[in-house]
Amino acid sequence: MKKIKAEKLGLTESVKRHLEAIGVVVGEVIVPSTITIHYPRERRKLPDNFRGLILFDSKACISCFRCAHICPANAIVMEHRIAYFPSIDYAKCIFCHFCVDSCPTGALRPTKIHDFVYKDMDEMVVHSEEMVETPEIVREDSFTVEYVFDGDVQLVKKKEKEELVPEVKPPERPPKVAAALNPENCISCRLCVAACPTFAISAKEEKTKIILEINVDRCTACSICNKICPTSTLGLVDR
Amino acid sequence: MQQKWEVTRPERYVEGKYFASLKAKVIDPGICSHCGTCSVCPVKGIRVEDKPIYFPNWEEECIDCAACVRVCPRYDYVPLNGMGEYIEILAAKSKRFKGQDGAMATEYLVSAIEKGLIDEAIFVGRDEDWRTTVHRVRDADQVNTLLTGTKYSFAAVLPEMIQSVREGNNVGVVGTPCMVSGIRKMQREIRLFAKRVKLVIGLFCTENFYWHQLSAFLAERGIDLRKGIKTDIKKGKFIVEYADGEKAEIPVKEFDPIIPSGCKVCQDFAAVESDVSVGSVGSKAGFSTLIIRQEVAKDLLDFMKEQGTVEVIEEVKMKIVEKLIHHKMEIHPYPPKK
Repeated sequence: MKKIKAEKLGLTESVKRHLEAIGVVVGEVIVPSTITIHYPRERRKLPDNFRGLILFDSKACISCFRCAHICPANAIVMEHRIAYFPSIDYAKCIFCHFCVDSCPTGALRPTKIHDFVYKDMDEMVVHSEEMVETPEIVREDSFTVEYVFDGDVQLVKKKEKEELVPEVKPPERPPKVAAALNPENCISCRLCVAACPTFAISAKEEKTKIILEINVDRCTACSICNKICPTSTLGLVDR
Repeated sequence: MQQKWEVTRPERYVEGKYFASLKAKVIDPGICSHCGTCSVCPVKGIRVEDKPIYFPNWEEECIDCAACVRVCPRYDYVPLNGMGEYIEILAAKSKRFKGQDGAMATEYLVSAIEKGLIDEAIFVGRDEDWRTTVHRVRDADQVNTLLTGTKYSFAAVLPEMIQSVREGNNVGVVGTPCMVSGIRKMQREIRLFAKRVKLVIGLFCTENFYWHQLSAFLAERGIDLRKGIKTDIKKGKFIVEYADGEKAEIPVKEFDPIIPSGCKVCQDFAAVESDVSVGSVGSKAGFSTLIIRQEVAKDLLDFMKEQGTVEVIEEVKMKIVEKLIHHKMEIHPYPPKK
């Protein structure tokens, strides 16, 4: 067995090394080299597409159900309000934001709000009307911290408050419009009239005739009419 | 781009929603044939079950679209009768399927699938109580799991066919003359069905029954359908054949009280509007009589011959077929005699 003994240093060497150690400690006290962010006094700078709490715009929603269909956690249920609007169960939500990405009109918007709590499970089911307003946030932060990866990780602190609800440009609508591809299939059931979320389809009754018309300006090419039509009368065409 | 279109609908027979007109003109006077074409109803309110056609809560749920009265073959009823137009009349027998006689209805539908003419065929099977069941068939193996043969009870074939068409399939269907007329009227009114219903096989038919009435009627006379393996009507007698070879017979005349009123105004024995009519009358045992009316049916028979799945003979006793055609016209006058 080999015994390891403390190195025998001379007095000068010993004092020099002690001073060096004290110097490092003093340096750390003045400018610490940790990468910890002092939340909530500091907040990390987040990208605009950060997947946090989701906000909802009922005017933009066309009740296409895509968010509810795509949700891998089955957290979204369409509830009947003026039309069918989504509710999100945050007990199930995995914050993948597939719903936001699938929304064709930008009715669902991402925010950088990630720190929120609920008192019970029922409260975690957030209905569409509760998603319209940005919730009140108690903020204690005065610094925004950014990680900079430049060989080594560095923290860049700025004395500023970041906007947690970024402006998001809604996606462009496809240059399409609903049309009667096979008007001779129509059975004048007018389910399309009832289903159109933007009231773009109208039906007029003249004696035994039914005259149906699609308002091109209102149509958002969501193709709900196409889906609900029992006789494949409707479809989308280029604008 | 067509953003404006119009649909012309028939006149209302009575005030109120269109289903009220259907009810007042067809269902309540008892001339409804129970063909089930009205199940085209876009809100799926009209029910085709083992009782007269009905629409629960129609006052509220009917959306007044007029689809039912547009497609109903009895709304402006002009009875069809006679032999109808045809290309040729033959007798044939399927070499691979077992059915009532020559199993030619089955053979036609399966060959249509194999030829690629249709995606799906609508078949009627039965459960052990002889209740009719409706199946969608996509290949020959599926047919062998079904109990084919005549059941003499209404089946909800058209609701299933309509659903299949809505799902985008090309379909083939076999039905009684009233169902054939219903399909044809629907095809004239709604082009979707003209495009997607590719093959319509009609059956020779004199009358059809509600299952609950037929089974109760037979039970009263000591016949247990559960033990039966085949039912048939021959020489004025309703015959139930049991597994052990025994037979029970009842004269058809005794069935009069349970004949549905809709059948009593029907004169179409040979399904004159079909692509091909199939029946047992006129050909020898084990063969089906075929009245080929449209090119599509002729092409299919040629396809079957090429594949070697059928045996065809020329010999058909036309006189018996004609006799039954006239018989049906005589016993079912329209307007009905009071």
